[in-house]
Amino acid sequence: MSSLLLGILWGVAGVLVIAGGAVIGVWWERKVAGHIQLRYGPQQIGPAGSLQMLADVPKLLFKEDIVPSGADRPLFKWAPLMAFAPVAAAMAVIPFAAGWAPFDTSVGVLFFLAVPSLEVVAILVAAWAQRNSYAAIGGLRAASQMIAYEVPRTLAVAPLVLLAGSLRPTEVVAAWRWWWLPLLAIAFVVYLIASIAEMNRGPFDLPEAESELVAGYFADYSGMRWAIFMMAEYGAVITASLFAAATFLGAGWPFSGALGVVALVVKTSVLVTIVMWTKWTLPRVRQDQLLRFCWVVLVPATLVQLAIVGVVLPWM
Amino acid sequence: MSAQTAGLGVAIALVALGAVGAVLLREVMRVLISLGVFLFGVAAVYAYLGYPFLAVAQVFVYVGGVLVLMVFAVMTARRDRSERPAFVSRHDVGSAAIAAGTGAMLFLGLRPLFQDAGFARSSAVSDLAQELLGPRLLAFEAGGVLLLAALIAVAAALRGGEDR
Repeated sequence: MSSLLLGILWGVAGVLVIAGGAVIGVWWERKVAGHIQLRYGPQQIGPAGSLQMLADVPKLLFKEDIVPSGADRPLFKWAPLMAFAPVAAAMAVIPFAAGWAPFDTSVGVLFFLAVPSLEVVAILVAAWAQRNSYAAIGGLRAASQMIAYEVPRTLAVAPLVLLAGSLRPTEVVAAWRWWWLPLLAIAFVVYLIASIAEMNRGPFDLPEAESELVAGYFADYSGMRWAIFMMAEYGAVITASLFAAATFLGAGWPFSGALGVVALVVKTSVLVTIVMWTKWTLPRVRQDQLLRFCWVVLVPATLVQLAIVGVVLPWM
Repeated sequence: MSAQTAGLGVAIALVALGAVGAVLLREVMRVLISLGVFLFGVAAVYAYLGYPFLAVAQVFVYVGGVLVLMVFAVMTARRDRSERPAFVSRHDVGSAAIAAGTGAMLFLGLRPLFQDAGFARSSAVSDLAQELLGPRLLAFEAGGVLLLAALIAVAAALRGGEDR
């Protein structure tokens, strides 16, 4: 029964990590956005507005949870949790230290790439349950975008698997060498762009485009259920950045032990900041531009990367 | 009862619950969610039996591909503003006949191919790839063609369902 208890313990820990990360992420995003837009961002509560989160959390917890009269109530209520669960599950396979991941499975890389599929279903269900045109259009946009960008994202990770000769994330990290950085530069950039699109964040935030769709697939959500969608979004940003820092950037390299974990956290934070920086710098693209960019630029780029690795592989 | 057995029990319960829901529920989105629970339960059964690759592939292909396609199709289908789409005509007898026939043909067709002693029961991904792309390739592809034929038969059986 110990493995079951360990699983439950990890589930609780994962939720706490994502919730904490989301709260800090919201504050950090406001600061990043503020500096990009030549303003301060939060600064009233605590030093540099760092306690703003303490004001945000109770606000969300006590806000009225409104369910529209025409909504499909059970689906409306369960959809946020369906969207959140895959993010927590994906975090379980990430190697946080050399040779250690909470769920160290032989198909961890594939697992990490497969679980966002469940999120697509959850977003479509949320969009459907609201019975609202904005939500329906947002949901359809989200699904088409997430399915399309799964292809370059998976292809970008394939060279890592080829080089490491394993789908186990801890083995990918163990096999990592510094020269993978220049060799896999294309794959890393494609992974980052495809991940931003998978997370529905700017400049690929068409599914929630405030100016045209209000908030898209979660337009009618409020209070804690809205917060769960936000937690899922920030959790996805953290998880995708952690995975990239661990596998593409060598996890704790050039350090080991506790310093290695610190290095992993620093690399992850830098990647999270880049994701936010991108959102607040680039304008939103159109749907046709988004899909054309995926199939005409990113997919061919990953195929070129695969060919490069294919040439290098026999010489290793 | 070990954690393994308890987990397998939960997975089988998910399969049964999802299958019953997919057959008995009326509202189309709930039917699809039940189908998702069924597919996820099958993946969990694979995982608990020691085949993690099959489990992840099941989620990737069936939940992430097939189910999303179905939900997408339902959402883009024409409907009245106030309508909650439900199945107009379920064609229970025809559907059951096609399902039973496909199942029987798959079972009878594939059983002799997997009876020889040389079949390696391994959960390793490389062994699985060698089996599927080696001696079992023809059976694997034939199974795919049979399922495609079943899908076409279902489409033919349901044709005109909306009018009825």
